[in-house]
Order: sequence, then C-alpha cells, then structure tokens
Amino acid sequence: MSKARWVALYAMAVLVGIGSAWLWLTRVGPSGIDAGVWRVNLLAGSPNADAYTRARVALGALLALDRRETLYYIARTDERGEPLRAQCRYRVSGPTPAARWWSITAYDEDFFLFENAARRYSVNVETAPRDAQGEMAFEVGPAAANGTTADLPTTGDGSLLLTLRLYNPAVSLQRAPDSLVAPRIESVGNCG
Amino acid sequence: MSQAPSRPRKFVLGHLLGLLVVAAAAHVLTVWALPRLIMAEVLRVTRTEGSTSADGVLRPPPADHTARRIVMPSPDLLYATCSLDLSERPAQITANIDYPRYWSIALYAANSDNFLVRNDREHGARPLRWMIVSRDSVSPVPETRNVEVIEAPGTRVLLLMRMLLPEDAAGRAAAEAARQTLRCG
Repeated sequence: MSKARWVALYAMAVLVGIGSAWLWLTRVGPSGIDAGVWRVNLLAGSPNADAYTRARVALGALLALDRRETLYYIARTDERGEPLRAQCRYRVSGPTPAARWWSITAYDEDFFLFENAARRYSVNVETAPRDAQGEMAFEVGPAAANGTTADLPTTGDGSLLLTLRLYNPAVSLQRAPDSLVAPRIESVGNCG
Repeated sequence: MSQAPSRPRKFVLGHLLGLLVVAAAAHVLTVWALPRLIMAEVLRVTRTEGSTSADGVLRPPPADHTARRIVMPSPDLLYATCSLDLSERPAQITANIDYPRYWSIALYAANSDNFLVRNDREHGARPLRWMIVSRDSVSPVPETRNVEVIEAPGTRVLLLMRMLLPEDAAGRAAAEAARQTLRCG
C-alpha cells in the first residue's frame, strides 16, 4: 500500500475517534439515578465527575451546581416510555418536591427555551397551577385546536426536554435522589 | 513448528495496531477537550463583553427564547458573570447583597468543574469580600484583613452569580439592585 493511502487511513482513524466520542456523548443517554421518568446525574458540576460526565454536562447543562446546592432531574419520556415531543400535549402532576425552591422548565431539542408570545418558559413553586389537593397540575404542549395555550407552551415538532430543578433540596433527597415522588408526565389528547 | 510472521505481514499488523491507537487517542482527547474548549469560549465572551462595563461584570437580561449562548438557561434566575484571570495577580470580589430570596455565587474551573458555591443562607447578610488566588501562582498572597481567601485550581475562573427572580416588579427591582453590587477586580 502506498504511503499516501496509509496517511489517509490514519486521518480516517482520527475522524473515527472524534466521531465515536461525539456519538457516545450525544446519542447514548447520560448515566444517573432514576425517579419515575426523571433522571438525575449526581456528578453534574462536581470535581469528582468522570471525563464523560464532564463532557456531557458541558454540552447539555454547562455551569451546573453540585447536588447539595441543586439537583437537576431531566425527563425525556412520558409515563408510557414514549419520547417527549414538542407537538404533543402532556399533563404534569405530583406533590411538591422537598426543596427550598423548585421549578420545571421546558426546553427545545437544542437545549434552549421555546419561543412563545406569553413568554412562559417555566413554572415554579410560586407560579405552578395546582389541583384541589394543592399538588402541582399543569399542561405542557402546543396551543389546542380551540386556541387555548398550555401553561408551558411548546412550538415545532422536535424533541421536548423537561428539567426539574430543586434548589437546596432536602438532605434526604441529596442522599437518595431516587426517593423523590416524581411528577408524572402523561400524554393527553392527540399530537398535533 | 510455527514460522515467524513475514516482514510485510508484520508491517500491516503494526499499522493496524497504530490505527487503533490513533482512533482511541482521538476519542479520549475529544472527550477531554470538549468541556475545556467550551469553557474557554464562555470565558472569552464573558471577558470581552464584561470589559464594556466599568466593574468587569457581565449582567445579561433575564433568559428568554432569544438567550442562546449557554445551554439550558433558567428563566427564573437573574445572572451576573465575571471572567477571572489569576495568572498575574489574585482577583478581588466584593458584593453587598441585601436580598431576601435565594442567591448564590459559584466558581467554575477551566475544565467546567464547580469548585465552590456559597448561597445566601451560608453567607448571611454580611458584605462579601473574597480574594481568589490560583494554586498554580508563585506570587505571595497579599496580607488581607476581613477577606476570605479562596484557592482556585488553575488560573482561569468563571464566577457566576444567581439570584432568584420573582414575578412582581418590586422583587425584580430588588434583585437587580443586589446584583449591581457585585464587583470583580
């Protein structure tokens, strides 16, 4: 084989190495602990994080805080295991998490906020709609056929990501994040 | 009795092993370098845009759908950031935060690790006086009184202040007033 072909093969090996790293970081789901359909990575932002966790956090949750300060639970599927989609409507419900302050934010597949005229990007401990029992109960998704907007509006037809942030979570949650009574995410109606 | 591999076969096997090593090295280097490259860009942009303010602090508006610099921005927080270069001298951080809600100040290393965070409950209402020094620095730490000395792993540090942003106008004005007290020098 000629020298030029070997050089081309080595260049291809470099591309394979870079490509495999990129696919591993972006396509393989992050490791972590599950609570319902929500997953939390306890090493996000931590100096003890492994190289893969650090790279994934840099790509999808840069400048995260450690678990004593904030727990970040991320949901990518509904209760049936179906991927969350921006063109579908979901009902999110559950008890108030044990934390000093919490919020749930909807992100587009590029990890940024959905454009919407109402400028509603999240619900939190103060603004979340609640049911008769005082538990959070709100809808995420596009505008309904009759024009009513969801509490957390989405647009487009890409993936949807929900992030539950718990600021200063209870010590019991810091020690056992899977003990969270996680908000349920249920599909309602048809996808647009 | 087995024969030793011929020279051309050895040559090909050696190159195949070399290709595997190169691919593995590129994979590991990519994973290692990504957070550092992303942080370098965040530090550069923060330094460039923060330099337009007299106190070196970048104070972006509350995040909305047009905020597309840092992934997964929180729309419930008001941020302030500083890019700190500790290579020649320590950084002096001051703030007088009189704010009744959650706030925190976090420090991030050049590899994106959050090596320190302090919140309102931990710090209390007293004035914040920090001197951030690099562990790599050979310069002596200046004598200081009533200043907390914080060691950073490296010479490049990002400071990120978070303030919980309420819905009402008075609360938002209080958050803005509190973040205006941050100084990075």
